Amino acid sequence: MNLWLLGPEVVLVLLGLSLLMMDGVVPTARRRLLGHASAAVVAVLCLYALSGHAGLPEPGYAFGRMFVLDGLAVFFKALFLCAGVFVLLLAADMGDRLGSGVTEYFVLTLFALAGMLLAASANNFAVMYVALELITVAFYVLTSYQRSRVASLEAGVKYLILGALSSAFMVYGIALCFGASGTMQFDELAAKSAELAENRLFQVGMLLVLGGLAFKVAVFPFQIWAPDVYEGSPAPTTAFLAIGSKAAGVVLLVRLLGGVIPELGLKWEMLLMVVAAVSILFGSLSAIPQRSLKRLMGYSSIANGGFVVLGLAAMSKAGSAAVLFYLAGYLFTVLTAFLVVAVVVERLGTDDFSALAGLHQRSPLLAGALAISMVSLAGVPPLVGFFGKFLVLKALVEQGTALPSYFVLGGIAIIGVVISFWYYFGVVRAIYWNQGPEETSPVVVPPVIRMALVGGVLGILFLGLFPGSVWDAAVAAVALLKF
Amino acid sequence: MTDVLFYVFGGLALACAFMTVANPFSRSPVASALFLVLTMVWLAGLFVLLHAFFIAAVQILVYAGAVMVLFLFVIMLLDLKEEERRHWNRFGVGAGFITVGGLLAVLATTIVRSHAGAGLTPELEGTTHALGLALFQRYLLPFEAVSVLLLVGMLGVILLSRRDLK
Repeated sequence: MNLWLLGPEVVLVLLGLSLLMMDGVVPTARRRLLGHASAAVVAVLCLYALSGHAGLPEPGYAFGRMFVLDGLAVFFKALFLCAGVFVLLLAADMGDRLGSGVTEYFVLTLFALAGMLLAASANNFAVMYVALELITVAFYVLTSYQRSRVASLEAGVKYLILGALSSAFMVYGIALCFGASGTMQFDELAAKSAELAENRLFQVGMLLVLGGLAFKVAVFPFQIWAPDVYEGSPAPTTAFLAIGSKAAGVVLLVRLLGGVIPELGLKWEMLLMVVAAVSILFGSLSAIPQRSLKRLMGYSSIANGGFVVLGLAAMSKAGSAAVLFYLAGYLFTVLTAFLVVAVVVERLGTDDFSALAGLHQRSPLLAGALAISMVSLAGVPPLVGFFGKFLVLKALVEQGTALPSYFVLGGIAIIGVVISFWYYFGVVRAIYWNQGPEETSPVVVPPVIRMALVGGVLGILFLGLFPGSVWDAAVAAVALLKF
Repeated sequence: MTDVLFYVFGGLALACAFMTVANPFSRSPVASALFLVLTMVWLAGLFVLLHAFFIAAVQILVYAGAVMVLFLFVIMLLDLKEEERRHWNRFGVGAGFITVGGLLAVLATTIVRSHAGAGLTPELEGTTHALGLALFQRYLLPFEAVSVLLLVGMLGVILLSRRDLK
């Protein structure tokens, strides 16, 4: 039993439990410190994942090969933990405005984080399902946390109903896969994947499982929840949904399509292409008329989910590595954007574009950070968003020699990028050029958030100017896939 | 004999499940909940046919007993009169029928054509001994993760139903 492989997960759960205990002793005014302390612990875990785990000579297994720690898992664990640090800091800053008990918010975030780490390491359908449920159930509560706001409750109910539906799809799919193959273990399934790819029962089961994962990634046809839930949830939850929950779906998609059933994935290239193309177009086109920043990010998240599936549809190692890099860049851009959104919503009371007018005078830092993240999301060099999109498209074109439809798909993706310029630069225009209200008092940004913002912007710039190290890590992470 | 009973239990479970969601005679949530209890009972019958006696007993005790009694209490306490009104949304009903019909057709043809279940053992190792071994050896990791999941569920219910609304 290699229990130490599960170190980060165990630490996170224990940290959550001890926070619950300490909630009774710590005075209300000091609760915020608990958030900062847990963010510090998560940051240490993130560094540990980046350093100690990274040098694994070969995959480590625990619990009868149900838990695997390979390059792919380590890459995503570092990503989740990094997102966790930002989300905890943001939640600590929001403090009392979260409504019922801020400590419980930290605890639920930590448990969801533990679920994400477990999902990255799942090597068995049972572990995968439990990990995803742990994430989803925690998010049911996190989305509806501000009980006094109707929008938050509405977001919670919508997420609950659609989440339960997608869980039902997934668990039925797992049952069919188990019925067809007699095993839930990923490596046993991989050993007979060629034979299973011809089995119709297994195909339908796998399709349902992929549908459940598509809900997590928020891509067509399971994208309908994203805008409403993003708009209604508290800002830290939305940020965590946008990167954490999405990446948890992506790591399982990469593991299943690349490591377990590559034959079936090749069969379904066309399906993945259609899903990617429709998501990109749907997300980009619907984002144009939006006036609320959070809702805009919801549609943008669908389009970005489309880009992730685009990389997977290439069915090559380069494509999967591009997806990993894309998510690493998306992590910093989205978190920076939501840090700004959270502060704007808190200080100005709304996230409508009209509130953004004159922001560059009231707080140059907020305005600059939001502008940089929007420009990066749009995909302008030399920011990281450009390299993500470029690498995905490059992987796609490399496959184009084999199947011309890849060129069509690449064309659609470029149309999506062009459309997205329109609405991302709409935000930038609202900040810098729109005539604002008379109000010009400076917006105060607390020092911790200022630090986090600077960290996020540095991440965007660093990954954009020096993509080499993360790209190498992404390539190493997908080395064991079987394309 | 077992085969006949399988179809009897299976058919009854399906019929009761249908009555839970689309009862043509009554819109009362209490009737739906009671049909759900019946569905659980027939499912327990299916588990008995698989020789999974412990799971069958748990199905009756926990689901049909404890969980459903809670359901009924909640329904009766909330006094859901609104639900009894019928309102049809034509687009919703149409889209629902098409989606469910399509899904059903795909699943049914697949299951019929793939000769599902051929070569599998008809009986499970359903004794408490075998179940305990599976839970605490093979499936220990998901089992432990479920304990965290239950804690999250509990925390969530307490948070969302707590009284001190500001």
